[in-house]
Amino acid sequence: MLNYIIRRLAQAIPQLFLISIVLFMLMQAFGDPIASLGVRTPPRPADRERLRRQLGLDQPLYIQYLSWLIGNDWMKIDMDGDGVPETPGKRLGVLRGDFGNSLISKRPALELITERLPNTLLLMITVEVVIIIFSLMIGVYSAFKQYSFFDNFVTGLSFVGYSIPIPLIALLLMYFFSVNFKNWGLPYLPTVGMFDPQVGRTPGQIALHMILPVLSLSIISIAGYSRYVRSSMLEVLGLDYIRTARAKGLRERIVVMKHALRNATLPFVTLIGLDIPFLFAGAVVTESIFAWPGTGRLFVERTAQSDFPVLMGILMMIGVAVVIFQLITDITYSFLDPRIRIE
Amino acid sequence: MKRNLSFLVSLIVLASLVLAACGGGAPATEAPPVVTEPPEATEPAATEPSTTEEPAATEPAASAGTAVITFVQQPTTLSPLYATQWFSTITTQFWLKTLWSFDPDNNPVPEIATEIPTVENGGLSEDGLTLTINLRDDVTWSDGEPVTANDFVFTYDMYMADSNTVASRYPYEDYFASVEAPDDHTLVITFSEPFAGWLPYTFAGGVLPEHVLRPVFEADGTLDNAEWNNAPTVGVGPFVFTEWEADSHMIFEANPNWINPPQLQQIFIRMADDAAQEVAILAGDTDIATFLDWSQADAINNSGVAQFVTQPSGYDEGWYLNFDPETAHPAMQDVNVRRAIVLATDREKIVQDLLGGLTEVAKTFWASTPPFEDPNLETYPYDPDEANRLLDEAGWVDSNGDGTRDKDGTELVLRYIANQRQLRKDVQAVVQQMWAQVGIGAELVNYGDDFFNGYADGGPQPTGQYDIAEYSNAGAYPDPEASFNWLCSEVVGPDNPEGGNWQGYCNEELDALFDQQATETDPEARTQLYYQIGKIMHDDVVWVGLWKDPDLWSVSTRLQNVRLSGATPFWNAQEWTVSE
Repeated sequence: MLNYIIRRLAQAIPQLFLISIVLFMLMQAFGDPIASLGVRTPPRPADRERLRRQLGLDQPLYIQYLSWLIGNDWMKIDMDGDGVPETPGKRLGVLRGDFGNSLISKRPALELITERLPNTLLLMITVEVVIIIFSLMIGVYSAFKQYSFFDNFVTGLSFVGYSIPIPLIALLLMYFFSVNFKNWGLPYLPTVGMFDPQVGRTPGQIALHMILPVLSLSIISIAGYSRYVRSSMLEVLGLDYIRTARAKGLRERIVVMKHALRNATLPFVTLIGLDIPFLFAGAVVTESIFAWPGTGRLFVERTAQSDFPVLMGILMMIGVAVVIFQLITDITYSFLDPRIRIE
Repeated sequence: MKRNLSFLVSLIVLASLVLAACGGGAPATEAPPVVTEPPEATEPAATEPSTTEEPAATEPAASAGTAVITFVQQPTTLSPLYATQWFSTITTQFWLKTLWSFDPDNNPVPEIATEIPTVENGGLSEDGLTLTINLRDDVTWSDGEPVTANDFVFTYDMYMADSNTVASRYPYEDYFASVEAPDDHTLVITFSEPFAGWLPYTFAGGVLPEHVLRPVFEADGTLDNAEWNNAPTVGVGPFVFTEWEADSHMIFEANPNWINPPQLQQIFIRMADDAAQEVAILAGDTDIATFLDWSQADAINNSGVAQFVTQPSGYDEGWYLNFDPETAHPAMQDVNVRRAIVLATDREKIVQDLLGGLTEVAKTFWASTPPFEDPNLETYPYDPDEANRLLDEAGWVDSNGDGTRDKDGTELVLRYIANQRQLRKDVQAVVQQMWAQVGIGAELVNYGDDFFNGYADGGPQPTGQYDIAEYSNAGAYPDPEASFNWLCSEVVGPDNPEGGNWQGYCNEELDALFDQQATETDPEARTQLYYQIGKIMHDDVVWVGLWKDPDLWSVSTRLQNVRLSGATPFWNAQEWTVSE
């Protein structure tokens, strides 16, 4: 088991290198970060040239990549513009935990990301938990009461839910629960932000501001995932061992919850395992609509400004998370299904 | 088991809520609210009982109420050294006053300077090379330290320090030979050559507190990562920075020690997107909002809680014409074709139909930068007959009967580019129709954010993938300087990838006038030079104005005494009051 984990992690290292190289090259397509540095007009030519030099953007791409990866304290930079590099670099590089400074605000990229990560995780973990609970409940119940009114109703609803894009759901929810409820004199939900600044960052405020984003983000997934749970439950419920369990006189509740569900959840675990790394990425569109201060919104903002240290930081974080959670998913299989062995 | 699970889940959710609430999402700036206790005791009472502000100084505690402002773009930093965003720079009028600010009519208003230097009062030397500025001796930083000329010297040094990746060194590296402080309240600037734009540019961004930032610079070797950039708890202005929560809000509290104590207690800036901003304006939840659209004017004026306000800030929407023989359509080389293009465009109709008649046609690039446009200049009228005549004369005729003129086998189809803004797309479509009347074809292209990318990055304009490019631009308002767009030496190309002249236009006569105005320190003579520049650019059809593009603001009716200006919009924030 330990060997397996070590082997998988060792495999991950060249993978991540490759990912970082590809991403770094793709960053070049985001456009010129210097071009967005003017206050209201494009920056002056002299400033463009100086900033390019000071920030090392005039270097060949492989040097830029190396500086990003291992830092530039081994080389000298021409800060004064006399054509002779004289100032030793200060960056330590990603391998030494330095993701560089944002080109726009000059703050460390890692700081900008970690500042928003808790907000994103709070939102996204809540969403994931809501998704898991409701899709299990709905899926199991629909499978158990196959072709009942509830099953048909939920089936119909899930197709509707699955075919509406999230931004539309978000705006509809906002319109209904905030604008209309306010007009009707009912208690209404806040539209944007994480808390009302005039009240402050209290748990109650945050919970209130989370209702709409969580709802928008979970509806589609619940609609989809409950279908998976339903179909794999149906498959399992028809198997011989379930009949045996029933024949033994076990209570239906135990049969379903303990014997059927455990085996039916395997495909579901795969889905969730694939989802989890992207929790770190946040919900790009939804966070922007609800002005949720998370990594997704940061990503959108900085994409427009081609702030590549921040973008690379977010993307690499997701890359690492994918590798780790894939590993965890594989290990979870062996717990859920004793037939799967990891060696 | 199920029960246990759900219990666990609810625990986790609760715990994470609490964690986040207790600062899990570390705020961008952990700024202890600076209340400035020492100066409160000393400044109004002890140190300065003399001439200034006697009535106001007696009751500095009168400030009350909050003005709520929405920003549709999140400032990335507050430091004037690094600010690349207009939304960052306009906040400085709250917390970082400088030598002077500008009123709505573009007149300078002394702030830290005692008066505006002129040749008459001896502030500016006859040769225009030495500027002597006298500073008020009663201005203190919000922590009680006096503001001295040394702070300005330090600020200059920081702009020029090679280890600081400042956003722009203009005009310091171009014109400043030295900045000296012969005593605490006298600042002497020596220019390397006469600098016509000294008034709007000298320390326009603000002044840095040397006593706070020099230790940081000495320790880190740079100010790039100074905490002050994002949490400037020491400032000099009617308000003091207290809080900035990333992506959420920013708060400035009244600074009773400022020479003109503010009437309001608090400035609250909320970050919101366009849709949320519009809702907030109409609901009366915000007092000041900007980056609006012309189409919002009626809704705002009819809301009863806010007014739509326009304020010129130098910007004019216009066409940049491509002159580069390598990349431009051959017809663009002919001045009569260029004239025909303008004559065939009913700009007045565009202003009336698409902008609700709320602005007017811009005659020159300096239409919104008074007084640099000649009021007597006659712009081209809408005259399709004359356009037809000029085009016929130039040899562009529709020989193959496809509705578009051609010459030597080349169709007269011009690439007309703009960014993705809906208004511009509408204008493009309307102009396409107008041009069709005279047989000019238009290929409409819209680019995304790479529109302004440089030559090396293949930006559509610097690489010449256009014949006419439309956007809104300004000189260095309130200064008219914008020469790098047209100087021969700035023509962009493989050997000058950072050149600012993306049109490939080169005219020795215009160059000479631009050079002359840059060093002309007599305001009247400089204005005359701009009349000549405007005339050449008009006659040669170098830049075509579509409309004056002022800043669009919404100001709530409950907020009083707001007099937004173009250069320093919040210059009189200390006079704002709220009525409930």
